[in-house]
Amino acid sequence: MASRRIATPLSRQVKPLLSLDRSEARKRVLDLYKAWWRQVPYIVMEFDIPKSIEQCRQKLREEFKKNQHITDIRVIDMLVIKGQMELKETVHIWKQKGHIMNYWKETHEPKPTDFLSSFFSGKN
Amino acid sequence: MDKFIGLDKLARFFAIIKQNGGITGSLFKLFRQDDLKVGTLVGEDKYGNKYYENKMYFYGRSRWVEYADHYFLDYDGSQVPAEWFGWLHYKTDYLPHQDPGRPKYNWMSDHKENMSGTSRQYVPYSTTPPKIHSWVPPKAK
Amino acid sequence: MFRVPLTRGLPSVKVVHSSLRATATQAPQKIDVYIDDKKVMVEPGTTVLQAAALAGVEIPRFCYHERLSVAGNCRMCLVEVEKSPKPVAACAMPVMKGWRIKTNSDMTRKAREGVMEFLLVNHPLDCPICDQGGECDLQDQSMAFGSDRSRFTDIDFTGKRAVEDKDIGPLIKTIMTRCIHCTRCIRFASEVAGIDDLGTTGRGSDMQVGTYVEKMFLSELSGNIIDLCPVGALTSKPYAFTARPWETRKTESIDVHDAIGSNIVLSTRSGEVLRVLPRVNDEVNEEWLSDKARFSYDGLKRQRLITPMIKEPKTGELIPVEWEDALVIAGMKIKEAGRSVAGIAGGLVDAEALIALKDLLNSLGSEAVCTEHTYPMEGCGTDLRSNYLLNNRIAGVEEADLALLVGTNPRFEAPLFNSRIRKAFIHNELNVAVIGPPVNLTYDYEHLGDSPNVLHELLYGSHPFTSTLMAAKHPMIVVGASQLERTDGASLLAQLQQLATTLMLRGNIDHNWKVLNILHSIASQVAALDLGYKAGVSEIRNAPPKVLFMLGADEGAITKEDLPDHTFIIYQGHHGDAGAAMADVILPGAAYTEKQATYVNTEGRSQQTLAALTPPGMAREDWKIIRALSEIIGNKLRYDNLNQIRVRLEEVSPNLTRYGYAEEANFTAQASELAKNVKGNTSSDPFDVKLKRLEDFFMTDSISRASSIMAKCVQAAKKHRENKYFGSQNE
Repeated sequence: MASRRIATPLSRQVKPLLSLDRSEARKRVLDLYKAWWRQVPYIVMEFDIPKSIEQCRQKLREEFKKNQHITDIRVIDMLVIKGQMELKETVHIWKQKGHIMNYWKETHEPKPTDFLSSFFSGKN
Repeated sequence: MDKFIGLDKLARFFAIIKQNGGITGSLFKLFRQDDLKVGTLVGEDKYGNKYYENKMYFYGRSRWVEYADHYFLDYDGSQVPAEWFGWLHYKTDYLPHQDPGRPKYNWMSDHKENMSGTSRQYVPYSTTPPKIHSWVPPKAK
Repeated sequence: MFRVPLTRGLPSVKVVHSSLRATATQAPQKIDVYIDDKKVMVEPGTTVLQAAALAGVEIPRFCYHERLSVAGNCRMCLVEVEKSPKPVAACAMPVMKGWRIKTNSDMTRKAREGVMEFLLVNHPLDCPICDQGGECDLQDQSMAFGSDRSRFTDIDFTGKRAVEDKDIGPLIKTIMTRCIHCTRCIRFASEVAGIDDLGTTGRGSDMQVGTYVEKMFLSELSGNIIDLCPVGALTSKPYAFTARPWETRKTESIDVHDAIGSNIVLSTRSGEVLRVLPRVNDEVNEEWLSDKARFSYDGLKRQRLITPMIKEPKTGELIPVEWEDALVIAGMKIKEAGRSVAGIAGGLVDAEALIALKDLLNSLGSEAVCTEHTYPMEGCGTDLRSNYLLNNRIAGVEEADLALLVGTNPRFEAPLFNSRIRKAFIHNELNVAVIGPPVNLTYDYEHLGDSPNVLHELLYGSHPFTSTLMAAKHPMIVVGASQLERTDGASLLAQLQQLATTLMLRGNIDHNWKVLNILHSIASQVAALDLGYKAGVSEIRNAPPKVLFMLGADEGAITKEDLPDHTFIIYQGHHGDAGAAMADVILPGAAYTEKQATYVNTEGRSQQTLAALTPPGMAREDWKIIRALSEIIGNKLRYDNLNQIRVRLEEVSPNLTRYGYAEEANFTAQASELAKNVKGNTSSDPFDVKLKRLEDFFMTDSISRASSIMAKCVQAAKKHRENKYFGSQNE
């Protein structure tokens, strides 16, 4: 048994999710980005959100840039799958206005972190 | 013959103008209630609202109310008192003062219109006592 | 633990001292008994019930209670003993060598079933509307040991027994039909409370428990008979029909109405304290609780400060504001005042708030942090803990053979300490002598007069009592802290210390036995002195500060008249009382039920309360308010959460965070040596105590003053005293 263990290569083969290499993953990301980009005018119109097309495209860029640091191809693939799902939900209007507006998180109040603001808000 | 050439329509037009107080009167009523009608005045309630009937109009539009002048544009369905409500909505054909079965007691309270949206609106309040009674500072002398 | 002679408990009966403890000197030879064929070794004289408890078998009982004498009248504890023709009452029968006791045999079970049946014949089927439901011994035991069907047909003929309810005061509701005549309440009243008011009249099915004449059962410990009652005959009047025990949330906490620090359980539901029950702690309160601690909880819902307030400069009226505004104004004034800031801590303040206030004022350069209650600072003052603690501990009374109470009425200043003295008086041959006003302590004592000169005479041996004092093996001198607030308090304390040292140096007492004990009546005092607060407000009175920070100070030690007009008063507390009325800024704090906080009792035992509720409205935990204020001033205190402030507490005084443990206080000899430097003479004004009668007991702090139940108690006590037939009895 011991001799066999030595013989096994150190690198491990992982099962790919979708993409086999970085360039393929990059292509998928760009495809998803373009699909969203094209959908934005329809989103603004169909959901009647108080945002302009430029603002939406800005937000789209932000959402993609948020995951800029990720290098694992499988993680990128999974994020692309999730993005695709969201896009589908948006296109079919399975989402509602609030779900779209939630990308801006305008109503989100961050929890107080320092002593004084948590004292004033009465949260501990 | 009149009917055939439509002269009765013209006659009714003039009758309506006449009943509603000439051209200025009619224009004023049109401005105030978006409608001009002709009918017999069957009664007036204590608040000054006038009730009309004209069987010529079809059922559902044949009884109507013209609110008292002092309401001007602030008239509202709840200003019709309960005794006229029934007649106005065809629940009964008796006029309130002719209805033999209508109860009249001294203790019956006056009609009150719906005050929602004004400063005198009804606001529900809690009837449960508060769990914590706060300290009320004494008044300064 | 067999039936003890209660003759000592009866007032004014002289008893020839029997040597109860003589048996204890012989080496006890354990005997073997068999409980359900399991062998246990027990000491002779143990009852069957106790032997079974040692074997882990609980025998059902109604009348038996560990802390009361044995009555043996409910018959629920019948068990079969092998070779005995009849079942025996386990609670009253001492075991014999080799007995084989069967706690679950057919005979035992049949006996229990029969007893249950007899009890239930005359017990109403009230359970759905009974307040005891869910914690009723009769309910539980009839489920466990009763018959599964009824043979009761008499309801169609003579019906059930019915007894008229009695009015025994504003705290205890009686539904006497439910009574099963266990006589626990009677035994409690005569043995522990020392008020021999309850008894039975009639025999057989005509037997009734009551007061015989129409009379209220008024005692400072009366609430305990509610807990003792195994059925719903005695229930709590304020708690009546409010909740079921399984609906409430229980939080273990500490009582702050006196300096004993009784362990309590707070039952809460939907943001309210519904009742307070005692928690067993043999070193503090056993399982009793004083009425003030038990019933003043409704004061927590009245007169509360729920928003910060500031005084409008023009009209002089207090108006509610936001926290920011109140803290900014308070902070501005403190900054303007510079070092001229002082703090006073009241009686209900926890150690966390105390240390936060002291740290804040010290960081501003002020040393004027005081407690509301004076304590002599001369000699070594409060530097040595033994100077202000109940050094022998509360449970230590049971080892003492002589207690000299100086200027204190423990019955109302510390009811549970008094019940300990009474317990020792009855069971342990404790002799009690009193210097001070002749009050009713519920036990006999030798009254040595009320003049401080008696102390002097005792010290120099010219008093006839000296020989008794010197002969005592375990003497205790208990001094009421209120006496040391006198102007001659320091020399009084010095005298007492000398007396204690003389007694200790005599040689015939144990090395570890300390003689001098201070009995406080204020919950915060010991913690404040541990943290280095100055006792008394004389410093503030002599040099009035520009800003005065009152931390729950409601007893009127400093009034508006003592201060110049320009003094800015900040009050922080939970009740609108004397302190809030004179304040310029009010910061609403939390009461003891609403915070996790440390309190130190009169023996120096630190204990912590747990938060059962959240503070009402905008009120906040006390130390957090001071911490927030410090940040606004710009002198940020360096703790942000409870753990950090407790680390700080430990830095200052490590005993404060050793919860449940009373740290030993030493250096009594050094303390008395330093006390010799105290100058000044003792005046010959007689000792006086504030709480003399029962009606004085109920309302002593801002919580109990706000309580309407306590107000009713005061009314009842007054009415009772004014009754021409028996009113003077309890004084």
